Amino acid sequence: MASGEFRLRVRYAKAGRLRWLSHLEMIHALERSVRRAGLGYAVTQGFSPHMKVAFGPALPVGTAGDNEYYDVWLTRYTEGSEVLASLRASTPGDLAPIDVRFVADGEPSLGAAITIAVYRVAVTGRESSASQVRMALESFVRSGSLTVQRKGKDKVFDLTRSLPKEACVGDKDGGSEVEITVRMGPDGSLRPELLVSQALSHASLDAAVAHTTRTETFIETSEGSWARPV
Amino acid sequence: MTTADLWPRIERLLSRVERPSRYIDREWGAFHTSDAGYRAVLVYPDTYEIGQANQAIAILYSVLNTIPDVSAERAYLPWLDMSALMREEGIPLFSLESCLPVRDFDLVGITLPYELSFSNVLETLDLAGIALRAVDRSESDPLVIGGGPSAFNAEPIAAFFDAILIGEGEEALAEIVAVHRAAKAEGCSRSETLVRLAQVPGVYVPTLYIEDRTDGGFAGIEPIDGAPVVVVKRVVADFDALSPPTCGVVPYMDVVHDRFGIEVLRGCTRGCRFCQAGMVYRPVRERSADSIVRAVMAGLACTGYDEISLTSLSTTDHSQLEEILRRLSRRLAGSGVSVSLPSLRVDAFGVEMARLVSAGGKKSGLTFAPEAGTQRMRDVVNKNVTEEDLLGSVQRAFEAGWRRVKLYFMIGLPTETDADVVGIGEMVSRVLAVAKAATPPNARGSVRVAVSVSTFIPKAHTPFQWEAQIPLEEVRRRQALLRETVPRKGVELHWHDSDVSFLEGVMARGGRELADVIQTAWKAGARFDAWSECFRLQTWLDALAENGVDPAAVANRQRSVDEPLPWDHLSAGVNRAYLVAERERALSAGVTPDCSFSGCTGCDVCGDLGVDICLAGVSRG
Repeated sequence: MASGEFRLRVRYAKAGRLRWLSHLEMIHALERSVRRAGLGYAVTQGFSPHMKVAFGPALPVGTAGDNEYYDVWLTRYTEGSEVLASLRASTPGDLAPIDVRFVADGEPSLGAAITIAVYRVAVTGRESSASQVRMALESFVRSGSLTVQRKGKDKVFDLTRSLPKEACVGDKDGGSEVEITVRMGPDGSLRPELLVSQALSHASLDAAVAHTTRTETFIETSEGSWARPV
Repeated sequence: MTTADLWPRIERLLSRVERPSRYIDREWGAFHTSDAGYRAVLVYPDTYEIGQANQAIAILYSVLNTIPDVSAERAYLPWLDMSALMREEGIPLFSLESCLPVRDFDLVGITLPYELSFSNVLETLDLAGIALRAVDRSESDPLVIGGGPSAFNAEPIAAFFDAILIGEGEEALAEIVAVHRAAKAEGCSRSETLVRLAQVPGVYVPTLYIEDRTDGGFAGIEPIDGAPVVVVKRVVADFDALSPPTCGVVPYMDVVHDRFGIEVLRGCTRGCRFCQAGMVYRPVRERSADSIVRAVMAGLACTGYDEISLTSLSTTDHSQLEEILRRLSRRLAGSGVSVSLPSLRVDAFGVEMARLVSAGGKKSGLTFAPEAGTQRMRDVVNKNVTEEDLLGSVQRAFEAGWRRVKLYFMIGLPTETDADVVGIGEMVSRVLAVAKAATPPNARGSVRVAVSVSTFIPKAHTPFQWEAQIPLEEVRRRQALLRETVPRKGVELHWHDSDVSFLEGVMARGGRELADVIQTAWKAGARFDAWSECFRLQTWLDALAENGVDPAAVANRQRSVDEPLPWDHLSAGVNRAYLVAERERALSAGVTPDCSFSGCTGCDVCGDLGVDICLAGVSRG
């Protein structure tokens, strides 16, 4: 970070219709909201100057996020509450910032630091009660791995490594809701809705994933505990 | 309106289609008014990413939404995957903002951006559940209005519209809405409403014009019910007084022209004889430097874009361009916001302006349009550019650090010989040699000349409107000849698909006989004809044959200058005598100067329409 720059961490949500944005579309939308906010932002040096901004791990098209993060480097210090108010006024409601905090120079990047994500997967259908879904999921997880197709290739996730915590399943709106915690790796992260879909079809249940939300992302501290990035 | 919001049904389809952000609305700058007494929906008959940046729709959207008790929404044609699912689920075409069926609006405005969109117009109407033909619509159907560049020869598509606006819409659309509202309030029938609309200047109501086909061919057209004999285009006299939209819709999706566009001038009087836009958007009217800089700063603050584009038919001709660019670069220093110019004038000034906008930043490539390869051919089309101008511009650009230049040419122009075609190849060779010589030896490997060659299509309202388009086989022969003469190394050669140009030529000058053809082709699956993966000439050839229309007689036939033309009742304000005189000068390779700085050349636009050339600065050129 160059001197005279202030690294601001923004916590925001990706909600409503805007969960259908791709990661790249969301990045452009949020950069535009920073420009509209009229905050002085730092610009990269070089051939093609652009806003200095960095995002947390990508969310897939269709997945919402309750607590997502980006860092933007500002060129002048403004009181946090004032920055938040400007950003709120310049951002579409479904991507609204929740809070902001200035973070220190030495903090690692969001992309590298965040390794744990918690998801809420809603399941609906004739056979989507919590007990049915729980049994399907437990039996699938016991099988040890999840194979997904990516760009024509099989990718195998070791479920003991990818799932640091047992999934919770509860009844919700006539169907159920699964809370799944995933450890993210540099070579790809398990998509929880694929895990649930495969578990449902494995158990031959007449049920399907309705929608998915990433509720939290965490940084693992050196002591092994999990902390929010703000 | 009583219909329910379609969103919950649409959202269920989104995980099954490509690019769901085409359908979600909620962009920054979108208007959401739920209780307007009169509702319009503006439709671009192609996908969201193609239509979203359309400036005409952006302007009309903003104009309509400022009229009290009137609201305007947007709709685009869903891509094939989405429309297939919508038909399966019985979901009609919907507006983005309130997700209501398009057929429930009072007015449906469909823009006609190019001839290849005609099949999409039918797809739009069908998906909306609106009767395709104006004559088949009932009292409960919305008013379907067309407009845009392809309206200047509206005949092929006329049967599908209740009314078509010829020319500029800023003032006219508000008048159309006012007449329609009054007619509704008085309980007028659909046909009474159309008779009233025909009295609005610039409005063409196709059902009020009867063709004379006594000898089998087109022999003229006559109005009924008091409609004007000739519908004259609308033109905004005081362009600088119109404030451009500065808080337009900012898309989420990566769309074409994804930047803040400001129209710096309208019209072009360079007088290129092939150019329909140059003839139909006359006269030249500039926005002042003050208005432009003010609009850009307000637009950036409101939209958050990081790029602006100074748009027009000929931006480097703006009399205050240098001042505008200097002021903008001062204001935008350090913000990371870049400025882009469309194709440049082929001279030292053009390159100097490109240097101004790229100062310190990336030099992505310059675009020039010499159009033809020999001086004789350039004189025929009145493209007042010499080879010296082009080579000098290329030299300056490569000396200044550019490594890539793009050149636009046409083949098949009237009087073209093989020598003219070969001349394009020779000119490209000289451009490449000059570019290399102006580049330091260690960087010469990266020198690129991109050459884009389209086939000339004679267009209505131009001096070449009577000329024959060269037939398909001849296009292919000339393309092959050109391929032999253009150097391979360092040159990227692109063609326009000759099949596409042929259909475009048929649609550009055809008459009402094409309505059945368009409908037959659409029924047989033609849509998204502007997308190379969707276009199939055979579908159209079959449709032409089925309806007994000989396409060669439309596209490839030399017309006599006293023959009645299907667009004679639609006027761009340029008189026929001027077009005839320009045609004669073309055939003797005589040039005509630009009337914006060399005195009137007699096209009669200014006198007939009560407008004038408006330059913001004192001099030009």
